[in-house]
Formats: sequence, C-alpha cells, structure tokens
Amino acid sequence: MNLPLEEALQQQSNKQQLQYEAYKSRKRSLLYNRYFILGILAILIIWSWVGTKFHIMDLFSGFSNMAIFIFQDLLPPDFTTIPSFVGPILETLYMSYVGLLFSVTFSLFFGLMAAKNTTVHPAVAIVSRSFIAFLRSIPAMVWGILLVAAIGLGPLAGTLALGLSGIGILGKAFADLLEEIDENQVNAVRATGANWYQVIGQAVWPQFKPGFVGWSLYKMDLNIREASVLGVVGAGGIGFALEGSISLFQYQQASVGILAIFALILVVEFITAKLREKII
Amino acid sequence: MTDIFLETRNLKKVYPDGTEALKNITLTFNKGELVSIIGPSGAGKSTFLRSINRLNQPSSGEVIFQNEQITNVKGKKLLLVRRQIGMIFQDFNLIKRSTTVRNVLHGRLGYMSSLKGAFGRFSEEDVKEALAILRRVGLEDHAFKRADELSGGQQQRVGIARAIAQKPALILADEPIASLDPSSSSNVMNYLKTISEEDGITTIVNLHQVDVAKRFASRIIGIKAGEVVFDGKPNELTEQRINEIYDQRGLVNELTS
Amino acid sequence: MSKMNKQNNNLSRGILWSLAFIFFVISLLQLDIAPEKLANIFSRTQRLLDNMFPPVIDDPINIAGAAIESLQIAVMGTLWGIIFSILLAFFAAKNMTPHISISYLVKALAAFVRAVPALIWALLFIIAVGLGPTPGILALAVNSVGMLVKVYAETIEEIDQRVIDAIRATGGSPIQVVMQGVLPTISSIFISWSVFRFDINLRYATVLGVVGAGGIGWELIRASRMIAYNEMLGVTIVMFIMVLGAEYFTRFLKQRADLATIRATK
Repeated sequence: MNLPLEEALQQQSNKQQLQYEAYKSRKRSLLYNRYFILGILAILIIWSWVGTKFHIMDLFSGFSNMAIFIFQDLLPPDFTTIPSFVGPILETLYMSYVGLLFSVTFSLFFGLMAAKNTTVHPAVAIVSRSFIAFLRSIPAMVWGILLVAAIGLGPLAGTLALGLSGIGILGKAFADLLEEIDENQVNAVRATGANWYQVIGQAVWPQFKPGFVGWSLYKMDLNIREASVLGVVGAGGIGFALEGSISLFQYQQASVGILAIFALILVVEFITAKLREKII
Repeated sequence: MTDIFLETRNLKKVYPDGTEALKNITLTFNKGELVSIIGPSGAGKSTFLRSINRLNQPSSGEVIFQNEQITNVKGKKLLLVRRQIGMIFQDFNLIKRSTTVRNVLHGRLGYMSSLKGAFGRFSEEDVKEALAILRRVGLEDHAFKRADELSGGQQQRVGIARAIAQKPALILADEPIASLDPSSSSNVMNYLKTISEEDGITTIVNLHQVDVAKRFASRIIGIKAGEVVFDGKPNELTEQRINEIYDQRGLVNELTS
Repeated sequence: MSKMNKQNNNLSRGILWSLAFIFFVISLLQLDIAPEKLANIFSRTQRLLDNMFPPVIDDPINIAGAAIESLQIAVMGTLWGIIFSILLAFFAAKNMTPHISISYLVKALAAFVRAVPALIWALLFIIAVGLGPTPGILALAVNSVGMLVKVYAETIEEIDQRVIDAIRATGGSPIQVVMQGVLPTISSIFISWSVFRFDINLRYATVLGVVGAGGIGWELIRASRMIAYNEMLGVTIVMFIMVLGAEYFTRFLKQRADLATIRATK
C-alpha cells in the first residue's frame, strides 16, 4: 500500500519541478527579449548623442536662453501689429479647409479602392495602399517645397500640399474603416432586397460615418498646424509673415503671430470638438 | 476557542465629507472561526474590514490583533502587520497584465527585501510554493496565463491564492462573490471555508447574500448604519432578525428566496 | 414631439451643410483658386516632372549624412521629450500631484506648448542657441512634452486605486506597489504613445532643416534654390526610404516583443 503512495508523491514532486523549470525558462526568455530591445535602444541613443554632438549642458543653456529670449525679446507682444496678421491667419484657415475637402474627396475614392472588401480588384487595392503609404510618408512641408517649385509661391501650393499629405492619412483611415465594416449587417440589409444605394445608405454608411467624421475633423486640426508653418517655404499662410518678422528681429511682432496661431488652433479645435459631438 | 485573536474597541470612522461610516464597533474574533458580516450596502461592512488592515485609518478606537495594538502602527511595522492579513476583494483586483503565478507571488512581497520584491526576483521556494497554492485552488494549468484571460470565478481563486501565499493568520474577504455567478460563488465560498478549516485561518467575509452567510459561516454579525445589530450563530438569525438588519421586508424576501 | 425634433434636426443639419459649402466657396475665392489657374498647374507640373526624372543624388555621402542626422535628432528629441514628460506627468496627474493647482498649471503649459507647431519652436530655439542639430533636438523635445505630458498624465489618472490597494494589503512597500502594481499596467500604454511620438518626431526631423535646425530638410531647400528638380526628387526619395525604414524597424521590435510575451504567457 505504501508504494503507490510514494510513487504518487514522487510524480507530484516531479511535476512541481517541471513547472518550476517552465517558470524559469519563460522568465528568462522574457528577460532576454527585454535586454535585447533595451540594448538596441541604448546603442541608438549613444549613436545619436555622439552624432549630434549633443551636450547635457545644451539642455540647460537652451532652456535658459529660451526663457531669457521669451521674457526679454518676445514679451510684451506688440498688439498694434495685429492687423498685419489678420489676412495671413484667414488665409491659413482657408488653406486648411480647402485642403481638407480636397483630401476627403480623394481619400474616399482611394480608400474605397484600397479596402479589400470594396475594391474593384485586389491588384488595385495593393496599388492604392502603396500610393497612400507613399503620400503619408512624405511630410506636408516637403510637398509644400516641391509644389512651390512646380507652381510657384502662394497659398495654392500650400493647399495642394495639405491635400496630398491628407490623402496619406485619411486614405489609410478610410480604407481601414471600410475593411472593419461588419459584413453580416450588410448582408442582412441586402437580403431584404435592397438595391446598391440602399445597401450603402442603410448598412455601410451608418458603420462608416463615426470614423469618417472623426478622422476628417482630426485632419482639420492637423491642417491648421501644418498650414501655419507652410509659409516658411513660401506656400502661403501665416508662417511667411511670422518668419519675416523673426528674420527682421521684430520679435514683439513675432510673438503676436505666435499668439495668433495659438488662438486659431484653439478656436478650430473648439469648433471641431463641437461638431464631433453634434454629428457623431 | 476562548483566546481572543482579534478585537476592535469602540472603532469609529468619519469620512472627510462627514459621513459616519462606523459608530463604536466593539467586536471580538476567535482563532480559526469563519465569520460572516451581513448588512445593507453602505452599512459600513467594507470600511470595517479596511480598518483592520488599515487601508482605511479609523478615526478613533482600537484594533488589537494577536494581543498587539495595531491601530497606529506605521511604516515597516504596518507592512509586517499587513502581511499577516490576507485580503480578498469584490473585483479581484489582480494585476491584469501580469501572469497568474506572478499575481500569487505578490502575496510574498511582504516577506522580501523591498528592492528584490520591486524587481520581481522571487526565490525558488516562493515560486514553488505559489505553484503549489495554484494547484490547491485548481488553477495549475493556468499558471502562466495573463490574469485577465481567466474567468471571474478563476480570477477570484487567484485572489484567494494570493492571500494564502501570505501565510496569513487572518483573511479578510470584502464581498468576494458579489461579481460572480451562483455556481462560481459557491465554488469560491467552498475554497474559503476549506482553507479556513484546514489551515486554521480566521476568516471574516462580508456578504450581502444572507443565505450564503447562513450556509458557510460559523458565526454571523449584522451591521446596520455603522452599528452592530446582530451577533450570533447562523440558526439564531431568524427571519425577524434579518428584517431588523435590512429594515425592508421586500428586499429580504428577494434575498432569501 | 419627436417628429418636430427630427424636423429641427434636419433643419439645423441643412444649415450646417450650407454654411460649410458657403465657407468653401469663400475660401476658394479668397485663395484665388480659379479654373484657369488649375489648368495652368498641369502644364507646369508636367514640366516639373520632366525635369525631375531621372532623380539624382548629387553628393551621396553628404545627403546620407544629413538623413542620418535627421534620424539622430528624432531619437534625441524623443528621448528628452519622454524623460521630461514622465517627470512632469506625475505633477500633472490629479491623483499624484502635490496640489491640484500645480496639475492645472502643468496641463495648461503643455496645452500651450502643444499648440505651437514644432517648426516654430525650431525657429525660436535657433535664435536662442544658434544653428545646427541642437535647436532641432530641443524643439522636438518641447513639442513632444506638450503631447506626452497630456497622454501620460491621463494614463496615470486612470490607474485603478483598487489594484494599488490589493498590493498594499499584502504588505508591499511603496516601491513594490509602484513596480509590481502600477508599472505593469501603465508601461505598455506609455511605450505605445512614445513609439507613436517617435514616428511623428521623425517626420518633423526631416523638415526641421528647412529653417536651419539640422537634418536632411536643408538639402531639399538647397536643391530647390538651385532649381535642381532632379536633385529634389533624389532627396525626397532618401527621406521616404529613411522614414519607411525607421517605421519597419520599430514595427520589427514591437512584433518581437509581442511574440516573446505571447510565448511566455501561453
């Protein structure tokens, strides 16, 4: 009678030992992975630190110089220069808005083509995805530089730059949204004998709408930020006036420009937040 | 059964907003008993439990645990008191992204040096012990899963395992089955009762299900509006006394049916 | 009643759409975008494209060096952005801050810093510390702080007090509570925001050179001033490869980490 009990105990303790080994090996593999990633990060950081000749004192001198600069030169803002910024601020707003509508329109097309479930052909989907990815990986500022070279200085170049980089962001977002649409709901509506328009209107659009509105408004927020600096390369908007006053050492005028950008961003974000609430 | 294991004297708790959660709670608990505290929600059951392991600081009164005044202990001493008191929560309160066995090992933190514990360098005995405890609550096959992959009943068993890993003298269970379905509930209560009996751990369980309390507890305490209104054996808890505790006939019928 | 509500709704929706349309027309007029101008674009773009191909990388070593500098600026800017954000986030999070007014102050500051675009920060830092990669690093760090303080603080604010209580109840010391209870919950969210921010910073770093804050942006401006369209395309392609390469690299690290976690929690 004793033997089976001992055997069972032996088995039990073997199993315990095995489970402990499993614990150890899992923990070890997680640790190795963590060291691997931390090692790569450390190498990247050291490489960048040396490569940019960064010095820890730069942080201190940078921020203290910045503080001195802000309080001695930027402040107080010279509010008499406000009128000179009204035109550029409005231009920034117009550029963002037209650029947004441009990118929404084309993103709908490319999004439909890029989504696996709505495309006309899988090859078209791949091509559209790549095109969208290409547009996305080039910043709006670079598009601005290229377009200024192509069509000359002015807000048209900036507007198109916002539109193109917008397709990169919204095209991907719309395609992903379309791919996530629940086919069962679509089929359920289709089963009632609805035609194509009814299927789109009753089954596809309600699922697509919240993401569509959310992403488009988000892109409007981004556009304002982008548009306010595109002027630096001559692609229209307030950036041009702002850089002008900085290069002429008119810092108290520049600070009005910065405040104007700040105000514009806040106002637009407030409006888009309200619209988001109202529409979704 | 005569030596007093845990005692509260005139325990009072007033919250900053003026709510008087506990009014003069004076109770004694004996070694190894499984006591259930019942009462309507907001009666102060939870505050009472949390005053014992000092997750809440009582406003006045005393807590005497194993012949020691612990009402005002601080720092290292408080941690030493807490490690002897396991706690089980309504919402399990596991670290969801950590593995099951890691959650059980958290019960050993109070026994380790601060830094070793912080970096999770648990000793071989601790790990083996934790795995053995998981076997005891029937979760050995889930040891390496993330805690949030387990079902509610399983998560609560991990919660129990974490408390046992502390090798506690006392277990406080705050509504341990309120978030569980009936079958998981009786499963979890069975584990609590078994452990209390086998390991001789005094267990205090807050419950709002009177029938469960009657089935599992050796003693029942009724709390209403921060005061003890009943203290006795389960069979002394008559329909009428229940009505007095809950003060609401309809609710009682619902709870006992 | 509900019918009237619906009518009201339709009416306000109609007004909204017409306002949006009117504003569009005004914008077009103000921006002076007219059909004949658009027609003009095509011929000019045609000429640009003719001149762009084949793309040329005039001075490969120089341009590769500038691209690497952009990458390094992004790494350093993100590093300091993360460090300062973690420190500030504990003052900004309502459940950690020494005083609630400090929390509001830090959050308001972050909102302001966030609203000023990175390129303007670069312009200002150039005045403060001179040309080169340093103003670029500082500009990216400051701009990152604006965003990361907000999201880190929100993550800290969402820490579950009940989970903290559970570790405290086992007798865990404060440092154990943070390392075993808080960190596992928030670290993955912190990491994914930080990686997201690195992607943004890398894109910014490619254009900071436009104002003289280091990196490959300067090469693009230089080529455009020389009206060397084929070089512009060459530089743009290098940028594209750099951004894509970095994205693949972060994705590779993330997948590796995920895989290790999955294998360890099977």
